[in-house]
Amino acid sequence: MREKIKKTGLLLSLLVFFLSSASWLLAGGDLLIKNATILTVTGNTIPNGDVLVINGVIKQIGQNLTAPAGVRIIEANGRYLMPGIIDTHTHIALSGTNEGTDAVTPEVTMAEVVNADDTSIFTALSGGVTMVHTMHGSANVIGGTNVVLKLKWGKPSEELIVKEAYPTLKFALGENVKQSNRTLLPGRPQRYPATRMGANALIRSELMRAKDYMAAWDRYEQLKKSKNPPANLLPPRKDLRLETLADLLRGKLIARCHAYVAPEMIEFLNLSREFGFKIGAFEHAWEAYKITNELKAAGVGISVFIDSWAYKMEAAEGIAYNAAYCTQKGILVSINSDSGERIRRLFNEAGKAVKYGLTQDEALKLITINAAKQLGVDRLVGSIEVGKQADLALFSQHPMSAYTRCEMTIIEGDVYFDREALLKERAAASTKKGGLL
Amino acid sequence: MKIKNMKVNRIKPGLLKNKNQLVFLAALLGLTLLGIYSFPLPAAAQTEDRTEVVAIVGARIVPVTGPVIESGSILIKNGRIADLGANISIPSGAKVIEARGLVAYPGMIDSYSWLGLEEISGVRATVDNRETGRINPQVKAIEALRYDSMHIPIARANGIVAAVVAPSGGLISGQSTLVKLDGWTNREMVIKESLAMIIELPALRRGRGEFAGFRGQQPQVTTEKTLDELRQIFEKARMYEKRREAARKNILLPPPDFDEASHFLLPVVKGELPVIFSVHADKDILQTIKFVQEEKIKAIFYGVEQGFKVAKEIKEAGIPCIIGSLYSLPPVWEDGYDALFLNPVILNQAGVKISFSSSSASTAKDLPYHAAKAAAFGLKPEEALKAVTIYPAEIFGVDKLLGSLEPGKTASIVLADGDLLELGTKIQKVFIDGKEVSLENRYTELLKKFEQREADK
Amino acid sequence: MNKHFKKRQPASVRPLTTAFLILVLVASSINMAQAGRAEVKPAYALVNCRIFPVAQPVIEKGTIVIRDGLIEAVGPAGKIQIPEDAELIEASGLNAYPGLISAHTNLFLETKEQSQTATPEEYLEALSQPAEPKEFPWLQIVEKIKPKKQTVEAYHRAGITTVVVAPHEGIFQGQSVVLNLNSDQVSKMVLAQPWALHINFTTERGVYPSSPMGTLAFLRQKFYDTQHYSQHLQKYRQSPQFLKRPEYDPFLEALLPFVIDKKPIVFQCNNLEEIKRALKLIKEFKLNAVLTGCNEAWRVSQQLKSASIPLLVTLDFRAPASSVYAQQGQAIREKAEKELYPANASNLAKEKINFSLTSFGLNDTNFVKNLRAAIKAGLPADQALRALTIEPARTLGLDKQLGSLEPGKIANLILTKGELFDEKTSIVKVMVDGTLFTYEEKGQ
Repeated sequence: MREKIKKTGLLLSLLVFFLSSASWLLAGGDLLIKNATILTVTGNTIPNGDVLVINGVIKQIGQNLTAPAGVRIIEANGRYLMPGIIDTHTHIALSGTNEGTDAVTPEVTMAEVVNADDTSIFTALSGGVTMVHTMHGSANVIGGTNVVLKLKWGKPSEELIVKEAYPTLKFALGENVKQSNRTLLPGRPQRYPATRMGANALIRSELMRAKDYMAAWDRYEQLKKSKNPPANLLPPRKDLRLETLADLLRGKLIARCHAYVAPEMIEFLNLSREFGFKIGAFEHAWEAYKITNELKAAGVGISVFIDSWAYKMEAAEGIAYNAAYCTQKGILVSINSDSGERIRRLFNEAGKAVKYGLTQDEALKLITINAAKQLGVDRLVGSIEVGKQADLALFSQHPMSAYTRCEMTIIEGDVYFDREALLKERAAASTKKGGLL
Repeated sequence: MKIKNMKVNRIKPGLLKNKNQLVFLAALLGLTLLGIYSFPLPAAAQTEDRTEVVAIVGARIVPVTGPVIESGSILIKNGRIADLGANISIPSGAKVIEARGLVAYPGMIDSYSWLGLEEISGVRATVDNRETGRINPQVKAIEALRYDSMHIPIARANGIVAAVVAPSGGLISGQSTLVKLDGWTNREMVIKESLAMIIELPALRRGRGEFAGFRGQQPQVTTEKTLDELRQIFEKARMYEKRREAARKNILLPPPDFDEASHFLLPVVKGELPVIFSVHADKDILQTIKFVQEEKIKAIFYGVEQGFKVAKEIKEAGIPCIIGSLYSLPPVWEDGYDALFLNPVILNQAGVKISFSSSSASTAKDLPYHAAKAAAFGLKPEEALKAVTIYPAEIFGVDKLLGSLEPGKTASIVLADGDLLELGTKIQKVFIDGKEVSLENRYTELLKKFEQREADK
Repeated sequence: MNKHFKKRQPASVRPLTTAFLILVLVASSINMAQAGRAEVKPAYALVNCRIFPVAQPVIEKGTIVIRDGLIEAVGPAGKIQIPEDAELIEASGLNAYPGLISAHTNLFLETKEQSQTATPEEYLEALSQPAEPKEFPWLQIVEKIKPKKQTVEAYHRAGITTVVVAPHEGIFQGQSVVLNLNSDQVSKMVLAQPWALHINFTTERGVYPSSPMGTLAFLRQKFYDTQHYSQHLQKYRQSPQFLKRPEYDPFLEALLPFVIDKKPIVFQCNNLEEIKRALKLIKEFKLNAVLTGCNEAWRVSQQLKSASIPLLVTLDFRAPASSVYAQQGQAIREKAEKELYPANASNLAKEKINFSLTSFGLNDTNFVKNLRAAIKAGLPADQALRALTIEPARTLGLDKQLGSLEPGKIANLILTKGELFDEKTSIVKVMVDGTLFTYEEKGQ
């Protein structure tokens, strides 16, 4: 595509304008990774392969590639190169998690509270994770809008945000929202909703309010444009809460719904049909294996743990076969961490899916291309293909093996985690004061 | 025999017309009685006859304490490994289990878990691992162990045959137990009813100390103070015993009032019952070593996140270390992102005997993956395997029964389709004490139920 | 005094002048009968001192004439005539500087105990009470201050003669006041009331908004509501017929002067992200804003440069909890608080960004200590002086009255033995609004 544009001068100037506003594209690094076992994810595995990265984009994949002078060469020595891991459900790199006071707070915007200083970013990089969908928590029926970040450790917060990702709105159902695992204190009465039926009723009423809000603005616009607008015409009060819900109804936002038990998901699918909004995925979805037909028919995917279950009643019928079984039934499945600790072994979690019925290649997809598809960024990341962004992770063994460790994590051609360099630093420091080894 | 005779005597002469009928009745009775005495009541269906001879043939055998046998057989008799090798003779009548393409391992041992004490961690009614109060040497985990916990079959189905089930909380949490993961009641599961006393020393302080959102800092009790407190408690127990002993010898002396804590700590202070110390920071480990030596008690360490800093001292003290769950972040940032993983590697290289634990109930099946994680960061794979088999067996004094595939040991064997510590490996069969145990569990039950939905269409 | 009048007035006006004089005398006698009314202050002449006027180059040996609380004249020794009625203050060997201005303090306010010291029982007790939002956009902090003589003197010893006292609770904290530290009586001290609306990026507990993103949505919604309210009010004023009247809202009423009429709003930014969040809000609602706190300003210098907003930079070097330097263990945090944060101001200076320095979060002793550390870390001394004199005066809109030693300005000045920011320097005399305070030398 880039060659085509070079031929057309007019399009070139347009492209330059477009690219300059997405300055990260031009700012990416250059690398040549040699002799790696390349797990492309969407194609065949390439043994002894090379990957050339220019300006943060994968330029070439092949054998015996050469790089322009000055480009850093990374000798993989047979080690495994995979696309950078994408975690579709976390809460890292944010200044807060829950606006847990009201049950409906769609007006809060997680993109405004990105905290690029969070050391969890480094922890995630040490586990090969390059991109996260970091979210409002599950304290509310309707939480807030979420944000997708690239884990560019050390860069300012605004440079982490991935603008191309689907804009998402967090919904939650079940025990967290009902606050059923909380001790009630006098002076703090039980918040509505206290039941699952209350939660759904709340969503319905709020969306109906949002519809009324949209209608009020339409009425105002109509009157304003009319030949004799009334003298007492005032615009309606701008309500950020209802604006966000209106965006959901307009299709500008998609819902990501935290739901565990099957009836929650069935009913949320009904709500989405009732109001015409789109669902990006169900989060956690422990009982998805019970309703694969409904999920498949609705074309809604799930973002799940592999086997971290039995911590709440609603997770008591979660089975480790869930992810594999749903994948086999044709549902788009990703594995997430929802934890600043589990994020650094997300590749192990995916590896477990092999025990429960998937091949290693299928399991690899759960943390790469599937996640990218769910976030709407599969054109840019999620596999090793020419033209995609160079978000890569280098592992000592096959990433689906229990014996592997992440050695290097690269985002858009820049190395953000380098175990070898880290060990050298430690050795230098420890000669001074008797360190780790 | 007596009964038989009595029976015969009661038969009216008129009923038995001839000798043949007599013999027939006697045989029938004999068989019935044989049946009654051979098959233990009340459990019937599951239990197989352990006098049965089983031969696992054609497997790749990893004995752990000896070289790998590329293709061989294991002979099981009376619940024990009778023989194993590349070419052993298999008696006729033996039940043959074809194991070509499979690998035979000793069953794994989880060195610290809450199996049976916790069903749904967020639902208090189902949690029994943490008693209230600080000093509870009297509580015994075996007495609360819910043997039909849904987590036990899941762990077993991943090749874990035995587990330490430990109480926790407070300072002296109670007595842990070592159980095999098979049995119709908790008592049938017991290997060692009272394995070790659990004592929990203060945790490593993390950057933000929060108690349910409370941002104040609880004054952290130091390990030094805690060990002082323990010294006093142990001394009190010794004195208690002395007074009781004196009263036993001299009828005029009134015995001391029953002191629960002292009574149940006596086996500890006498050096009979070991203590598993949950200890974490390097300075605390050193202090605890000193304490153990001064008090002359048997000790095992658990947790030891900063053990790598004092590996030499731990080795010299000869104290084995149970590694806590590696599903955690290093408690001290400065130790490095991989400190938790390097810890067992460094301890092992220094000669410390280590074993791994799941430190869980719901993810107890992940025991092998903690070992593999350490291997990913430098632990020799053979050592990683030993740390979930023979090393825990040695640490808990059951190495004559478990931990490796050797003649004489119990036939606690796992047949896997690959490396036991690998994520993708599927366990095909598990034997505990020579009996092949069911691999059905909650996961498989629910899966089968909903696979049915497809079939119903 | 007569001499002056004779010089200034033509003869024809003399009877008028006499009448006026009598009136003044009568008025002053009446004034003196009423306690607290502004008395006529004496005239002073500080002679032979080294003068740092700030607005002009240093005068090696000069004279400052003060009359009735105002600077009458400043200049080299030979050029300034010393009035007869001026009390002579021999100042040879001493330096004279404009009194320092700390444009953000919580002085004279009773601050509640922080929950850090609460026991679990107290905390749970507090949790059991129904939560009430604590928002006070209407609060005039001048009504809450209780000045104490010792505090005034302590701040004098740090060289500070003017302070902004700002409210400190809630998100919309209330409105601040500018005070001259000339006594312990509020009415005498007030320079400007109110100065600005103060907003802090904090959260409520147990009630909306209880999270940083909730606070941002809350702020934004309030600003929109103020705009809508103003629109409605205006329309209602113009033609109320057939228009439902706007419901009176004291919160929005309090915000009108700041959001609509663009009176100054001060945003407290406790880390670099809050600076970015403030800049975004300021741009969106076109606010007349000042940023305070700004202890991580150097990390956002490019954005601050292009935004060109007045900055009140604290000399409190503690790393915020969210900072990367505070999450990697004690050693790194201490290193950052010793090396990085003290260099904040000097980094801004290198980027040619204007700023004031404040004592926010500090007491008089560590203000001085940290000021010296900031200079040691690379902030030029003369810039430090400007950051505590003319810059804050400008930001407060009081640069015609304060911030330099120039005729006509208020007589706020300090006399030091030694260079102002040196270790061994002590403050010998302080003058505020023409009232002279003498301090003994304390071996520092």
